[in-house]
Amino acid sequence: MIIEMKNIRKSFGSNEVLKGVSLALQGGEICALLGENGAGKSTLMNILGGVHQLDFGSITVDGKSVEFRTPVQSQEAGIAFIHQELNLINDLPIYENMFLGRERKTKRGSLDLERMYEETEEMFKRMNVHLDPGTMVRDLDASYKQIVEICRAMMTNASVIIMDEPTTSLTDPEIERVFSMMRTLKEHNVGIIFISHKLNEVMQVCDRYFVLRDGNLVADGNVSDVTTNDLARYMVGHDVRTEPLRREKKQGAEILRVEGLTSHHTFRDISFSIKAGEIVGFTGLLGDGRSELFESIFGAVQILSGRISLNGKEVKIKNTTQAIDEGIAYLPRNRKENAIIKDMNIMENASIATWPKFSRVGIINAQKHQEIFEEQRKALKIKMENLTDSITSLSGGNQQKVVLGKWLAAGPKLLILDNPTQGVDVGAKEDIYDIILKLADDNIAVIVLSSEPQEIIRVCDRAYVMYHGVIQGDVAGETMNEHNIMSLATGGQLT
Amino acid sequence: MKPALDYTHVRKNRNLLQWFTYKWSSEPLFSTAIALVIMVILQTLVLGFDYESFGSWLQAWTNNWINILRNNAGTGIIALGMTFVIMTGGIDLAVGSTLVLTGAFAMMLLDTGTKGFLGGIGITGFPAFAVAVIFAILAGYLLGALIGATVTKGKVPPFIATLGAMMIFRSVTQHFMQGYNPRVPMEFLEIASFRIGNYMIMPIIYWAFIAYILYYVSKRTTFGRQIIAVGSNERAARLSGVHVEKVKLRVYSLMGVLVSIAAIIQVSRIGSMDFSNAGRGVEMDAIAAAVVGGTSLSGGRGFIMGTIYGMLIIAVMNNLLNLFGVPPFLREAFKGLIVIGAVLLQKKEKTS
Repeated sequence: MIIEMKNIRKSFGSNEVLKGVSLALQGGEICALLGENGAGKSTLMNILGGVHQLDFGSITVDGKSVEFRTPVQSQEAGIAFIHQELNLINDLPIYENMFLGRERKTKRGSLDLERMYEETEEMFKRMNVHLDPGTMVRDLDASYKQIVEICRAMMTNASVIIMDEPTTSLTDPEIERVFSMMRTLKEHNVGIIFISHKLNEVMQVCDRYFVLRDGNLVADGNVSDVTTNDLARYMVGHDVRTEPLRREKKQGAEILRVEGLTSHHTFRDISFSIKAGEIVGFTGLLGDGRSELFESIFGAVQILSGRISLNGKEVKIKNTTQAIDEGIAYLPRNRKENAIIKDMNIMENASIATWPKFSRVGIINAQKHQEIFEEQRKALKIKMENLTDSITSLSGGNQQKVVLGKWLAAGPKLLILDNPTQGVDVGAKEDIYDIILKLADDNIAVIVLSSEPQEIIRVCDRAYVMYHGVIQGDVAGETMNEHNIMSLATGGQLT
Repeated sequence: MKPALDYTHVRKNRNLLQWFTYKWSSEPLFSTAIALVIMVILQTLVLGFDYESFGSWLQAWTNNWINILRNNAGTGIIALGMTFVIMTGGIDLAVGSTLVLTGAFAMMLLDTGTKGFLGGIGITGFPAFAVAVIFAILAGYLLGALIGATVTKGKVPPFIATLGAMMIFRSVTQHFMQGYNPRVPMEFLEIASFRIGNYMIMPIIYWAFIAYILYYVSKRTTFGRQIIAVGSNERAARLSGVHVEKVKLRVYSLMGVLVSIAAIIQVSRIGSMDFSNAGRGVEMDAIAAAVVGGTSLSGGRGFIMGTIYGMLIIAVMNNLLNLFGVPPFLREAFKGLIVIGAVLLQKKEKTS
């Protein structure tokens, strides 16, 4: 099976998103589709998946011209689109999820559960998946959910599977599981389009690559001929910095000291400290408890025992309002769930943490409100039209900058950034790194939580590595390298 | 640089139809306002022009309107509080029961008979009225705070907490007021019945005044904006330093205060209260008004102005049905149609 998209054009209003993109995919091939946010990847795939209609151009399947007006038509042509937010019902077992919308029925019209169970079992055997079809989807970890979704696509005899950033929320062993699944699919002669921001993964699993920039296809070829640096350069259009960014450090007084901090299940016996002007990393695998640790320090979750001292004085932080008053700011991970308030406009999202600052007896000073925001907008280079536009009208990178701006306006002494570059393109990533470095120069203590060792190495002065809720070890200077971080993160020791 | 709050590019070069479609699709309250205007025109037509002079027509029209507004002032005030509650993602089913409880409480304080509390300790006249009003509002505040604490501290879903409170408040009131009919001093009735230029419009003034304050609160205060944040994304609000529990507690307390004000208006309008039936169904009317006015039951989205429109639409429709002579039992059905119809008309968010 060969799918060809030729000279695809698509505009939304006056905004031309795709300016004549052509690409071809064969069965048994894993193709990476790369590009910064807004390059047109999702639009292109949504056209292939029947979600959007193309303005101009053609799609052919095995040489026959096709037209996809609805997702169903695309599915019937053998194209399965696995979205980032998985379409599984948590409260149904796997085998019922597999037949969602195409349930097998008995002659009398009731659900034929036995048959669905058996067919699922058969598919799992074929795909080399070791799962009990009767398991509730809720009990599966993220990688198995991904795998169930892939198997469901295979049930519909999909010959092309589009995977939209399948690995963003997975841990390393889970990613490996999904990759081996992808290799199995390849053996079954299924073509895969793999959308990802993680270039290492592309090198690991893909055969070919396509790079989009500003609605044009700027590069394509065999993955074996290029390096990650090449790919990054194609995406951004210029060379990408990879060297550590940190320069000479001037450090001030100790800002935060944590001793023996313990919570119910998520972390225990955590002790560390950070000085003004320092950038300290916290890393580890997903589920290591670092996010929960800092949510607790920020007062969003109750702490069981342990001491927190700010500026040398012990404090008990009961809620987030108090944490802000104490000079702590916390940028959470998963922007959409934890940071964005979609019913409020850009300016309000940027100022929610600082309302008390420019209010008198609870009444907001609208002018001061706007002035403060303008200042942040310029400093952070936020691209937008009206500050009363909905926050969701911004791109991921700009949304993140708005959220970051919210915390800078609060004038924190301690800034905690949890996955600050999540879902942000390469260009905006560099902007955010620059901001972090500048903040440290301004004598703010910055803590960066990240699951990407490279990010930690580039930005931080030193780092703590967590494993199953404890600090497994700390690295700095010479010892701060990918090898050491990974071995600590997986429960090993420094050698 | 020009401020970003510039809409001139949107306004210019539009004919009426374009302006209309633009408004319809971009302004959430536009369709509601249009619906209200149509209802008012219809009502004016039905009222007819069969009068001696323009003056007497205007007189009849005005009187009709004053009646409508006055009859709905209490529910209107409750609907305003309900809007805030729904905006936080909650609901308050207990407003009707809180209304009888605070009303009964005020009446017990004021009673001119032997059991009268304030009379018993020698407070009468204006001081007694002031004390009764203050204590009734305080009672409403405490009942609201109690519900709020159940929701925030006890983590009981608002629907359940207020369903329970609805049963408890009503039943306790009925039990203690069994066979007891407090007599309210005539002068107390002036609170609602005081005439301004021969018009009995005090309840309307209270309603308008409270609406103005709450409109301001929703638009220009940290509390008002925090309500939206909590209802839209509670987790993000908390991680942005919003004290979510405090906001919710305040919203339910405010609801209690508004209900007690409505109770005082009701007591001072008729001087008595039917403890088993007063306020029954008022929670549904208040929710209906808010929903017709564009407030989203999933929280985060709501408009004080919308709720006023919604209340008026329902009120005018009741008046219309009255003028048309529609049988009383059928009127609820029309109310139901209006609620569903209004939500059908409203701009829908994309479901995908």
